[in-house]
Amino acid sequence: MRRRELAWVGKAMLLLLIAVVLQTMVVSRVSVLGVTADLLLILTVIVGLGRGSLEGAIFGFCVGIVHDTIFFQTLGVHALIFVLVGYFVGIFLARFGTVNLWAVFIITGASSFAAQLVFGLFQYAIGPRAEFFTVVGAQMIPEAVFDALIAVPICALLMRMRVISIPGSEQTAAAKGGE
Amino acid sequence: MPRNKVAWRRLVFVVLIIASLALLTVSFRETDSGPVHAIQQAGVSMLSPLQTWGARAAKPFQDGYTWIRTLWSAHEEAERLAAELQQLQGEAAKLREQAEENERLRGLLEFQDKGTFPEGTEFVAARVIGKSPTRWEAWIEIDKGTADGIQIDQAVVGATPSASASLSGKGLVGKVVSVYPHMARVQLITDAESSVAAKIQGPRAEGIIVGSVSGQLTMDYVDRDILVDPKRIIVTSGYGGVYPPAIPIGIVANVGEEDVSAYKEIEVQGFVDFRVLEEVMVLIVPAAANGDSTATTFSPTTSTSSPASTGSTTSTTSTNSTTTTTLTSTRQ
Repeated sequence: MRRRELAWVGKAMLLLLIAVVLQTMVVSRVSVLGVTADLLLILTVIVGLGRGSLEGAIFGFCVGIVHDTIFFQTLGVHALIFVLVGYFVGIFLARFGTVNLWAVFIITGASSFAAQLVFGLFQYAIGPRAEFFTVVGAQMIPEAVFDALIAVPICALLMRMRVISIPGSEQTAAAKGGE
Repeated sequence: MPRNKVAWRRLVFVVLIIASLALLTVSFRETDSGPVHAIQQAGVSMLSPLQTWGARAAKPFQDGYTWIRTLWSAHEEAERLAAELQQLQGEAAKLREQAEENERLRGLLEFQDKGTFPEGTEFVAARVIGKSPTRWEAWIEIDKGTADGIQIDQAVVGATPSASASLSGKGLVGKVVSVYPHMARVQLITDAESSVAAKIQGPRAEGIIVGSVSGQLTMDYVDRDILVDPKRIIVTSGYGGVYPPAIPIGIVANVGEEDVSAYKEIEVQGFVDFRVLEEVMVLIVPAAANGDSTATTFSPTTSTSSPASTGSTTSTTSTNSTTTTTLTSTRQ
C-alpha cells in the first residue's frame, strides 16, 4: 500500500514536470481564437477524477504554485483555484460514481470556466476592469471549450498508459476512495 | 473508519485553502525583494532557457503556419495593400509638403534636428520568447535582460512581419516592466493597465491612449472642441518620461463624442499587430533626452501596473505613479 502511494507521488511529480515543459514550450504557443489551453488545469481535473478529492486538492495546490511561479502571477491565486477544482471534481466523482470521456469533456469545460471566473473576479478586485460579457465571450468560453477538447485525448492517453484510471461503469467511486 | 477518512479529507482541504490564502497574503504584503518574490524570480529564471528553446523549436512551425495563412489571404491582402498604397501615396505627397514646411519652421524656431527617436538612442534587438496566457493581461517576454543593458521603464518598439517600407506595421509596442539577467517582461500598450500620452498629427490634439482587456486601444482626454479626422496618425507626445516623443502608435479609426463628456473618445487602430510580434527593439534613451520630456507639466503617460498582476518587480517613478493616480480620479 505504502509503495503504491509512493509510486503514485512519483508519477504525479513526473506528470507535473512534463506538463510544465509542454505548457511553456508548446501549448502556450498554440493559440486558437486568441486563447491557449491550460494543461495544468486539465491535469488537475484528470487527477481529481482519477484519484478523488484528497489527491485532487493536493495535486491542485502543487500545480497552482507552479502555475503562479512560471507565469509570475500573485503566488497563491492559482493554488487556491486549483485546490477548489481538484477537490470538487473529486467530490463530483464520489457523487456520480462513473465517468466516461464525455463526462471528462463536460467536467473539464465547466472546471475551466469556473476557474477563469474565480480568476477573473480576483483580477477585477485588484486591477483590470472589463465588461463581463466581453470577457466571457472572448476569453472564458473559448478557453473552456479548448481545454475540454484537449482534456479528452490527454485523459484517454493517460488511461491507456495506465498512469491514471478513471472509474468506469463497473467501478464505483467508493472503491477508488472518493468522499 | 470511513467517517474519519472524510474528516481527514476535509481537514487537508481546509489546510490547503488556508495555505493558499496565506501565500496570497504574503505575496501581496511583502516588498519586491521579499522571499516569496525571490523564489518566483528564481523559478522564472530557471524556466527562461526552456522558453527560449521553445521559441526556437516552434519558429519553423510558426513560419510554416504564417506562410500558409499568408497564401490563403494573398488576394485579399493584395487588394488591401493596393488601397493602402494609394492612400499612402497621397499621404506621402502631403508629408513632403509638411517636411518642407517643417524645414522652414525648424530654421525659424531653431529646433534641433532629430529623427523619430531622440539623438543618441541605442537599440537592443530582442526575440519574443513568451506571451501572456490570458486576455486579462497583455505582455510579452523577451530574451534580453539586465546583461544587455535593459532596464525597467524603457520603451519598446516593433515591426510586424507584414511591415512594409511605409509606416504600416511599425510602432510602439510597450515598455519594460520587469527585468531579469537574460529576459525581461514588456507590458504591451494594449494592456488594460497601460496608458501612453499621445498626440494626433495635424490638429496636434493631445490625449492618453489606454489599452483594454479586449485589446482595443482608445485615446481619451482629447478636448472635444478640437476637430479630429479619421486616418490621422497618432504618435507619442513624450510627456511623462518613459516613451520618447514622436514614436508612431497608430491611426485614428473612429471618433466618438458624448454630450455629457468634456472629451472625445477616439478608437485607435495600432500600427503593430501584437498577435504576430516576433522581434522587438528596446530603446535605450540617453538620460538627457528623457529629461526634456519629464520637465513638462502635462499629465502622465506611463502606466502603473499593479504588483499583483505583473509581478512585483514592476516599478515606476514616484512622479509617474502620482500623476496616474490623479488621472484615474479625474476619469471617475
